[in-house]
Order: sequence, then C-alpha cells, then structure tokens
Amino acid sequence: MTRPSGAHLSPDEIDSWLAGNLARTWQEHLDQCQACLERAHAEREIVEQISALPLVSPAADFADRVMASVVVPDPFAIRSFQATQRRLFATRKSVAIAASVALLLLGSMAGSIGWSLTHQETIASIGNWLLAQGGQVAWLGLRGLASNLIEQPWYSGIRSLVDNPVRLAIGSALASLAYLGGVFALRRLLALPTQQVAHAGI
Amino acid sequence: MASSRPEWGGLSDQEVVLLARAGQEAAYRELIRRYERPVFALLFRMVRDRELAEDLAQETFVKALNAIDSYRPEFKFSSWIFKIGNNTAIDHLRRRELDTLSLDGSPHAETPEAMQATALQIGARQESPLDTVEAKELGGAIEAAIGSLRPEYRSCILLRHVEGRPYEEIAEILNLPLGTVKTYIHRARNELRLSLAHLKE
Repeated sequence: MTRPSGAHLSPDEIDSWLAGNLARTWQEHLDQCQACLERAHAEREIVEQISALPLVSPAADFADRVMASVVVPDPFAIRSFQATQRRLFATRKSVAIAASVALLLLGSMAGSIGWSLTHQETIASIGNWLLAQGGQVAWLGLRGLASNLIEQPWYSGIRSLVDNPVRLAIGSALASLAYLGGVFALRRLLALPTQQVAHAGI
Repeated sequence: MASSRPEWGGLSDQEVVLLARAGQEAAYRELIRRYERPVFALLFRMVRDRELAEDLAQETFVKALNAIDSYRPEFKFSSWIFKIGNNTAIDHLRRRELDTLSLDGSPHAETPEAMQATALQIGARQESPLDTVEAKELGGAIEAAIGSLRPEYRSCILLRHVEGRPYEEIAEILNLPLGTVKTYIHRARNELRLSLAHLKE
C-alpha cells in the first residue's frame, strides 16, 4: 500500500499496527515520525489496559434464576393454548399471517354456506347422481368378489361341508373351541405378574 | 439421564440450540453457561451497577431463550445474544435518561434558566459517590473512563477490546455500518486516551 507524501498514520493504519500487519511503507514512516509513534504507543497502552480489565461474573445461582422464567418446550406435548397464543401474537408479521388465514377460512366458509343455500336443487341432483353411481359400483364389486370366490379350488370342499348338517355342527363346534382357546391364551399372556414374584422369600 | 447427555464441549452453539429447541433443559443451561459471563460483563460495564446488570442479564437470557425458535442459525449465536443484551442495556439507559434529564431540559421546567439548569450536558457526567465506589471495584481509572463514554462508544469498545469481537460482528450486533463502528472505536479510544492523560496530570 502506497503512502501519500506527508500523510500520517490514520486510525486504520494504527489498527493494522496494533494487529502487527502494518504495510512496510507505513512502518518506515512510523520509524521516523515521532508524533505517529507516540500516538501509536498511546493507543496500544489504552488497548492493553482495556484488555486487562478484571473478569466479572454473575452470581452462582444466575442460571437457576434464568431457567425459572424460561419455558422449555415439550416435544411430545400438544402445544398449549397459551403457547400458541403467545406465538401468534409474538410479532406483527405472525399476527398478520394468522389474521389472513382466519379471514380466508371464514370467507370460504361463508361463501360455501351462501352457495349451498342458493343452489339446493343442484346439490340434491349431485347427491342423487353420486348415490346411484356409488350403488352401482358397490354392486359390481360384490358380484366380482362372489364370482372370484366360486372359482377358487377350495370352494367346493367348503360348500360340501355346509351342505351336510352334521359336518356343519362339528365344524362350528371346532371353530368355537379354537376361538375360546385363543381368548384364554391371550388373557394368560396379558396378565400382570403377581407381587409374590418380586418379594419371594422375604 | 447421564448416558444420553451429549458432550457439550464438542458441540457448536448452533447444535446446542437445536437440542434446546428439541426440549432439552440441559441445552438451555449450556447456552447460559457459555454466555453468562461475557453478557454480564458487557452489561455490568454498560450500566456500572452489579445488581442492575444481573437483572438486565437475566432479562436478556429470558428473552433470548424464550424466543429460541426465532434464532436464525446462519448468524452467530454470540452476535444474537450480544445484540439482545446490548439493546436491553441501551433501552434501560435511554429510559433512565428520559426519567431524569432531557436534552432540552426537564419538561417541568417553566423558565429558560430552569431548562438550562436541567439540560443534559453530554460528556460532563458527574459521578456520584456510589459510582466512585463501583469504579474502584471495577479496577480504577480505565473503568471510570469507559463509564463516561457515550453508550454507543462503550458498547463498541467493550465488544472489541474486552470480548475480542471482530469489527464485522460488532457491526452486526449493533446494527451499524462497518465504517461507523470503526469510527466509534477510534473516537472512544481517543476519548479514553484524553481522559487518562488528564487523570495522569
């Protein structure tokens, strides 16, 4: 960096000198200029005095006092009404966004109600059409399922079992027994251990 | 649970903030542990009253930690907390000045003489006996000289030479242009030099 002739060290140059990276041309000037040298040394003395100020710390219970007024969020809790309210009214921007969303929702609800009241015949015809279409789709689905079931290889065996009343009775009894056995096993699995286990021998 | 406690030393401020946002109280305490001393030191030297500085530091941390969701990780956490602390101190100092003095004199003054007598004399801050005791506690002449600087100069000089923050970060903390920060620091050093030279004489 070139030095204009006759110029003395500016505050920026003194900063550079304090940081130990003053340009060579300025360093040469500093070596010759008593005024700049005195100024630089005086600044260094000030900086050293400020940097040597004693460390100060708050009282030992500072963190506890701060934490007593801090709300730590619970990530698993549903946000309380107060917390939501505080968040909504935190800044002007958040209030404006909340008001816009509320206005949009209320506007669309009012529009929907208004349209429904003035177009009841249209709503009725749409409802009838949907019911008819829905019924047709359900009936077609049921028929498809039944025909698919009939074509299965095990269908004839099940059919012959249902045809014979004795076999039907035996089958029903076996199914009932299997169900009751399952319920019993589940109850045993879910039963709480008794206290005798924990304090055995005491 | 001790086993799930992270090794705080290895975590950056941003990572600790993420844990705090996830609801870990220990992360909040870690942020306080990291910044309670520098923030308190800045505020103590801004207001020169231990009890008041503790109250302002507490206010700073409560404000910051309750608004931890609004912290943007692309900025340094230190800049954010210092900014809140500095604003809290400046607000307090402005309130105090408004309560006691105005630039044009007291609003209750009825004559020009009364207004003149109550007008704020910048740079002519008279120290109370309490201030003198505080100055002694803080370490003498340099503390007193810093205390007599304008609040903006005080913030700049403390952040630069006590906390060792770079000019760019100070500009971000104080929301000032870089050139203004440099000017404030140079003027503050100049004023300190003159004050201390006067004391030496």
